[in-house]
Amino acid sequence: MAELHIIGQIIGATGFPQKSLFCKWGVHAGGAWRLLSGLKEGQTQVDIPQTGDMAYWSHPIDLHYTTKGLQGWPKLHLQVWHQDSFGRCQLYGYGYIHVPSSPGQHRLQCVTWRPLGSWQDQLAEMFVGGGPQLRSSDLIYSGADRYRLHTVGMGTVELELCVILRHFDRYGVES
Amino acid sequence: MADGWCTDTGESVYLTLPESSDAEELVVGWQEKFFSQYEVDLYQTESNCQTPLERQYHTEIMAMERSKRRQNQRIFTYTDFDRFSKWEEVTQSTPTFLAERMANVRHRRQERQSVVPKSRLITWEPSEEFIKNSHIINTPVQTMHIMGDLGPSGKLGLKENEYILCTIKADGNGVITIKPDFNNNRGAYRLETQGEKREVWRLYLENASSDIHAEEKEREQRMYRDLYTRHKDYLNSLVGQDFEMPPPGILRLIVNGEIVSAQGYEYDNLYVHFFLDLPNNWSSVPFHGLSGVTQTCRTSSEDVAFFSYPFSFETFFHKEDESDGSLPQWPVLYFKVLSLDFWQRYRTEGYGFLVIPSTPGYHRMTCRTWRPLQSGTVAELRRFFIGGAPELEDISYVRVPGTFKGKRLSRFGFRTQTTGSVTFTLNCIQHARAFIDASTLKKRRQTVLDQLGGHSQQGSVYNVLEAFQRARNRMQEARETLPRDLINTSAQLNSESSA
Repeated sequence: MAELHIIGQIIGATGFPQKSLFCKWGVHAGGAWRLLSGLKEGQTQVDIPQTGDMAYWSHPIDLHYTTKGLQGWPKLHLQVWHQDSFGRCQLYGYGYIHVPSSPGQHRLQCVTWRPLGSWQDQLAEMFVGGGPQLRSSDLIYSGADRYRLHTVGMGTVELELCVILRHFDRYGVES
Repeated sequence: MADGWCTDTGESVYLTLPESSDAEELVVGWQEKFFSQYEVDLYQTESNCQTPLERQYHTEIMAMERSKRRQNQRIFTYTDFDRFSKWEEVTQSTPTFLAERMANVRHRRQERQSVVPKSRLITWEPSEEFIKNSHIINTPVQTMHIMGDLGPSGKLGLKENEYILCTIKADGNGVITIKPDFNNNRGAYRLETQGEKREVWRLYLENASSDIHAEEKEREQRMYRDLYTRHKDYLNSLVGQDFEMPPPGILRLIVNGEIVSAQGYEYDNLYVHFFLDLPNNWSSVPFHGLSGVTQTCRTSSEDVAFFSYPFSFETFFHKEDESDGSLPQWPVLYFKVLSLDFWQRYRTEGYGFLVIPSTPGYHRMTCRTWRPLQSGTVAELRRFFIGGAPELEDISYVRVPGTFKGKRLSRFGFRTQTTGSVTFTLNCIQHARAFIDASTLKKRRQTVLDQLGGHSQQGSVYNVLEAFQRARNRMQEARETLPRDLINTSAQLNSESSA
């Protein structure tokens, strides 16, 4: 079996309309993959940048997977939320990115989008906040039913991931 | 006393005292309290004792006096419980607040493992005491000072004549700090007394503890090694040995990617419809889709629509026809960008294609798109008001049409307009059994050459090996063509000689 180490951090987010942001993240892999050590999901702290646009989290990701096959390569899913001064949390974006398969250090930008409701919903959202959320977040893992969605693009999440592969070349995998 | 006068180039004159009955030997345990003459005098009177510690000293001293058992004269100790701070600067009459706090740091006791409670990470209203205590980082340290009363003999018991000989600090992690350090044949430390008679004392500190036995050290090393190998075996057992392999002679290509964004298009609410086109000799797993449609996304500022749409393809390449020496054609991803607006009008925004890269790894590519134009304004007006636009019947026309069989492709007369661009990120993985042999062969060759070493040798030895291999092959071929009887007679001869 081959092993995969993912060591990195969620650096922060930029390009969102408001500043007080936090991120819920998780790593999702296929059936042939097994997590040996590390936490595969988590939530960052709320960060309010004083200067500039980027909210920094520097949230560590340290995972050790082992696999019997190449299908179901791990994918990282993100949900960026906004917490306002009253303590309410509003969804600001869903994002999705594959973990890179080539070894080395990768600086990745994951773009995010948010579902939109009808124009009445949007008007209410402007005053009251809130907004539609996906009922089951499985939709962001696979793309099957996405064509029904009407969304709007939001900001970008920056990540830095270092990928270490072990024994993959023994089985003839080039990446 | 007169003998032993010596002068040196310095200004002072010093005198060495002969070996006298002033020699003292004391064995001190950790945090074992020995009283100085000054302390004995001080704590004998009950009225001087205020704290419980001092009262305890008083009882001990009285017991000692009664039993007339006094071990030490000049050498005494200050343990962790005594309030003792070393005044570095003689000029300062009183130490600063911070110096005092630093010296008393060791008096604060902390729990063995101070677990930070998860529910209360932040103290929102710290008290004054808390603020004062938290200014200084403190690790729990136990200190002990070995002191010497260096006054002239007969006049012991004066506080001015106390000098620190050695300070030993031990903390919870097993770190022992000894100040000053062991001499290690570097020369003695000098202690100058400040009294009427300025005397110079030589201080030697030696590490008298015995080293660890060789066998114990060996045992410790073995234990560590066992621990590590056992952990490694445990991890190996979790991981296992099998891996899913493609059939021999087949290259498996796995593409994990995302459609990231689309930019620069005329209308809003874009979506991308794409599929992967496999040339000859390529096949894919049945029931696995090779196409997809993204969600409809409204552009934000700067006309960018974010899709963040993941896809994953798995295809197999099998070279059927070995004689055909052409390079394999790689799969192509065709896509079209469309817009859907509030009134349910569809418009094509662009067509594009992307050839899957032949090198494995991470690729981020931006593809530009165009859309076909019809001559005349009617089509454009229709597109603007009603929606709908000329579409390509065969999307592979974008690259090379599937029905094309000639030598020159001519697109003369086809009018298009450039529209925006779409960004993809791809992670390509290639998997084949052939790669195993190649990598191990490379490694084996490398080790032989490494052992021999040197570039000049490398070339020649490798040549020799190759020549030998060729000669061997030739001999085998020649042997096959030899007449049968020759081989038989030689075999008979061999068997006779061996028998």
